Amino acid sequence: MIRALLGALLLCCSAGAGAQLLDFTDAETRAILRHGPWPAPWSRDPSNRVSGSAAAIELGERMFFDPRLSSSGQVLCATCHVPYRAWQDGRARAFGLADTERNTQSLLDVRYQRWFGWDGAGDSLWAQSVRPILEPREMGGSVAQAAALVRGDAELSCRFEKVFGAPVPAADEAVLAGIGKALAAFQETLLSGRSPFDEFRDALSRSDLSSMKKYPEAAQRGLRIFIGRGNCGACHVGPAFSNGEFHDTGVPFFVAGGVDSGRHGGIRKLRANTFNLLGAYNDDRGGSSAVKTRQVAEEHRNFGEFKSPSLRNVARTAPYMHNGSLATLAEVVRHYSEINPDRLHSDGEALLKPLRLSAGESADLVAFLESLSESASALAPRRPAASCRR
Amino acid sequence: MAAACELPPGVRVESDRIALSYRTIPASIEVGKPFVLELAACPKKGAAVAERVKLDARMPEHRHGMNYRVKVVPLANGRYRSEGWLFHMPGRWEFVFDLGTERLTHSVRIE
Repeated sequence: MIRALLGALLLCCSAGAGAQLLDFTDAETRAILRHGPWPAPWSRDPSNRVSGSAAAIELGERMFFDPRLSSSGQVLCATCHVPYRAWQDGRARAFGLADTERNTQSLLDVRYQRWFGWDGAGDSLWAQSVRPILEPREMGGSVAQAAALVRGDAELSCRFEKVFGAPVPAADEAVLAGIGKALAAFQETLLSGRSPFDEFRDALSRSDLSSMKKYPEAAQRGLRIFIGRGNCGACHVGPAFSNGEFHDTGVPFFVAGGVDSGRHGGIRKLRANTFNLLGAYNDDRGGSSAVKTRQVAEEHRNFGEFKSPSLRNVARTAPYMHNGSLATLAEVVRHYSEINPDRLHSDGEALLKPLRLSAGESADLVAFLESLSESASALAPRRPAASCRR
Repeated sequence: MAAACELPPGVRVESDRIALSYRTIPASIEVGKPFVLELAACPKKGAAVAERVKLDARMPEHRHGMNYRVKVVPLANGRYRSEGWLFHMPGRWEFVFDLGTERLTHSVRIE
């Protein structure tokens, strides 16, 4: 029905200004529509009682830019998650106090994720926010140092008390959990703006041909490959272009002195983490948020699997893959076009096959990926908050 | 005396020895969204009641299953509630119902 309507409109309007429109089938149209609308609905994190709280967002923003959480007093969250670099760092692999093995992921749209980090070792944004504070190669801080910072700083302690409605806890670990929750509340506000793809997708949903024609033909052709022959939408699903799960994509996982075990190690770290959702700091009394943590399966195939990242603003977040080994989107497309199935896990999923794209098709796919960049930031300008008063 | 085994409304799947019905909550399964599955199983005449129930799902074409192990809680009268379900890809999924010595399957397509 949709196709018939669009077909009739295409016939009558194809002489108009703008790009030619591809005659997307009904199935293609449904697949395209599933990547929106944007922004997607979102609800507060039940495991974090200050999720969505304005006071927590302010405290979290302060802590995000506070180097005193690090052992050197010089590394802050924003060292790797740089606001003007789409909240990542543009480096192949992160560097805080020392080199690490993994690429820094953008924080844009992080609120939609189920698991956090390339290996999903974090089951909540607040638990994940604690991790780099304690990681020796990133911020190198400690539980005691973080707690002492809050207790010893009148502004931070005042804000902490207002956010959580109680005096700063005596237990250091509880203070660090609170810091993580405030950091998470801030990061939940980091949202991608709408992209040319979103405008096309919404125009398609209302059969608005003149608006659809503003979307370049190359991007349309790339979109057709993405949802069709490329099968990219198997993992990059929905409005956030990610299924939030883990896959072996044939990217080498050897690192200096060993291997990066990816999801396999991530599940083990998750289970050992005091701050996981099965622990005492989960604010979700109903407990449904912890089902994923309780039921996650550890399989041999998880070795070398890494999380499917969101593709929103992907053109702004080079380099790519878990180890930052691919410098450009063209290289990423070439990787999937020429992928060697022999390099994939022998007992893993049978999903990836070499696409054998022509040069033109590769360029079209890149054009589509570039069309996922926001046209304007969705982030409101930040104003300095007034000092906290008890 | 045991209550008669009745199947509630739901998707019905049968073999020679057992009949089951299941429903998911929510009814429509979405990619990447957790759901609960409720199951009722009735042995047919002469067949034994399943003592062990194991539930799972897989994507045969992709050669993989879920990334989660389902927790099954037995209720009364051959009914079970299970949680931990999450289909992480679009396409054809196959529910696998292991009920004692019987294995029943049912396919669904998720978009």
